[in-house]
Amino acid sequence: MSNRFEIVFQRTKKEVRPAFMPFLVAGDPDYKTSLELFKSIASKADMLEIGFPYSDPLADGPTIQAADERALKSEINTDKVFSLIKEIRKFYSHPISVLVYVNLVYQYGIDKFYRQASLMGIDGVLIPDVPLEESQIFVAAAKKYKVSPVFMITQTTNNERLKKILKVAEGYLYLVSVLGVTGTGNSLGKETYDFIKRIKKNSKLPLALGFGISTREHIANAAKAGIDGVIVGSAIIKILEANLQNPDQAKNKIETFVSELIA
Amino acid sequence: MKTVIKKQRKGYFGDFGGQFVPETLMTPLAELEEAYRKLSKDKAFKKELSGWLINFVGRPTPLYFAKQLTQKAGGAKIYLKREDLTHTGAHKINNALGQALLAKHMGKKRLIAETGAGQHGVATATVAAALGLECVVYMGAVDIERQQANVQRMKLLGAKVIPVISGSKTLKDAINEAIRDWVTNIKSSHYLIGSVLGPHPYPTIVRDFQKIIGEEAKKQLKEQANRLPDYLVACVGGGSNSIGLFYDFLKEKKIKIVGVEAGGFGIKSNKHAARFEGGRPGILHGTFSYVLQDKYGQITETHSISAGLDYPSIGPEHAGLYKSGRVEYTHISDEEALKAFMLLSETEGIIPALESSHAVAYAIRLAKKLPKERIVLVNLSGRGDKDLTQAIYHIQKMKV
Repeated sequence: MSNRFEIVFQRTKKEVRPAFMPFLVAGDPDYKTSLELFKSIASKADMLEIGFPYSDPLADGPTIQAADERALKSEINTDKVFSLIKEIRKFYSHPISVLVYVNLVYQYGIDKFYRQASLMGIDGVLIPDVPLEESQIFVAAAKKYKVSPVFMITQTTNNERLKKILKVAEGYLYLVSVLGVTGTGNSLGKETYDFIKRIKKNSKLPLALGFGISTREHIANAAKAGIDGVIVGSAIIKILEANLQNPDQAKNKIETFVSELIA
Repeated sequence: MKTVIKKQRKGYFGDFGGQFVPETLMTPLAELEEAYRKLSKDKAFKKELSGWLINFVGRPTPLYFAKQLTQKAGGAKIYLKREDLTHTGAHKINNALGQALLAKHMGKKRLIAETGAGQHGVATATVAAALGLECVVYMGAVDIERQQANVQRMKLLGAKVIPVISGSKTLKDAINEAIRDWVTNIKSSHYLIGSVLGPHPYPTIVRDFQKIIGEEAKKQLKEQANRLPDYLVACVGGGSNSIGLFYDFLKEKKIKIVGVEAGGFGIKSNKHAARFEGGRPGILHGTFSYVLQDKYGQITETHSISAGLDYPSIGPEHAGLYKSGRVEYTHISDEEALKAFMLLSETEGIIPALESSHAVAYAIRLAKKLPKERIVLVNLSGRGDKDLTQAIYHIQKMKV
């Protein structure tokens, strides 16, 4: 359905490398700096994943929690995230996915949220606290506005559940590399390798791996297991966190980190 | 908001409830539901649980006619269900024990709990010690400050108390951390949630382990007064002591039932935890219920003098009972709760928890307006020893 996803994954497959998908929280540490960061990272990103800051992000580790808090402190809200994405769309033509907690979607109005997402040029919406069983109304709105509903798959997702999720999921599957929260994986062990293999065997959708991807070795190992894309969030946000006093320096350091990561 | 997420399906109470959690938790929740379904029908398990409730917890707890308090109020008779007399001093242990036994049967070695006032943390640490399980308790840094005695107690019982410094540093943030721990350690650990909150099947499991409060009270009042009560009153934080008292009486349509939330400094001050009057439907910690939040759905900070009522959402079954009108919900301010705290101590020789003081305050207000032959049954959910320092500080401030 979403052609942008298909185009990217076909291209990176041809280039025999996983698609690189950086994640940043919209408005972290403030609207203006955030837009600059997206600009600087855009040329290296095959796709972008953008987080809506939330007061209670229970799937996230300390790094992204702190990013959410910074963004909320600078008075970012759902409307401002949409307007930020509208500005990003002016210079970025590849896929954009958003990660948003369910209460923000519900309070905005489910229909209105997906309509707005579609208008702003968002390709995929992932709601980490809406599992398949609660997803019907969200998937229906996504399909209505031609936005891909993206789902997470974890090591606890058995093949039977996977099959059911694949009936509604679009774009790609977000594979959670470890049992835990974002930013916690530090190696890709055998369990993760076997997990990727199992899902690969059972899914036609491209697979993007996230949670704790921070080194070239992680990416190389994931590629060996057959992954189609990698999502890198906490590792990038940590650099921002360490250089909050100097946004230009943060930008430069993130650029260097990303260049080395995907070289 | 007109949109209704889902109606009348498993894990829902009317429009409210559900399982809004990350994918990682769906399989463990299904395993928990299945294990509970089997064990709750198992005779040996029931016998085991009942043995622990009698010999370890000290059940049944007394139902006490508060004669002096009744005279003071000058109206309906006030009866107190003495959950404060359980081992560890609050109703929390009923659920902690039930779930810990369940976890043990499921082969889990480690219990994760969150705590606000510290009562649930103490109860979980206690049963963990008794059953030989490891125990980790997450507690907001603000709550650690105001409930030092309970922190010491948990440590003495062998639990690891982890301060939570994110967000508002209270119960809601402790729940976030407990869920994060559970996601990371699902194979070895059971998340022992302390109230009728969280994703299905928790609200049902916790209610089932607490409903013994109402079942006993019904029987005891029949023995003492040969009748049913006219009113039930209980405080509502997450809502476990209240649903525990209410549940067995819900079908008796003549009985009026009142849940008392924390009014804090008053609704207009925005410093309260009155979810029905001050909030609207939304999703927090895996369940669809009433939530205190801003326009965009960011969860707002709450205030109550009692840590146990200081939470921005409420159990989904309560939301269902509110919507259907079966239960009425009201709130009591910090100041009124403190006055009830003092009054019950002076008149009856019972020092209530600040949480329970909210229920006592409303019961006094209610009894005053009712004829003498009426009966108001109050759940005295916990004892007030843990609150002494805080309460005395505020009482002195109030007198100035």
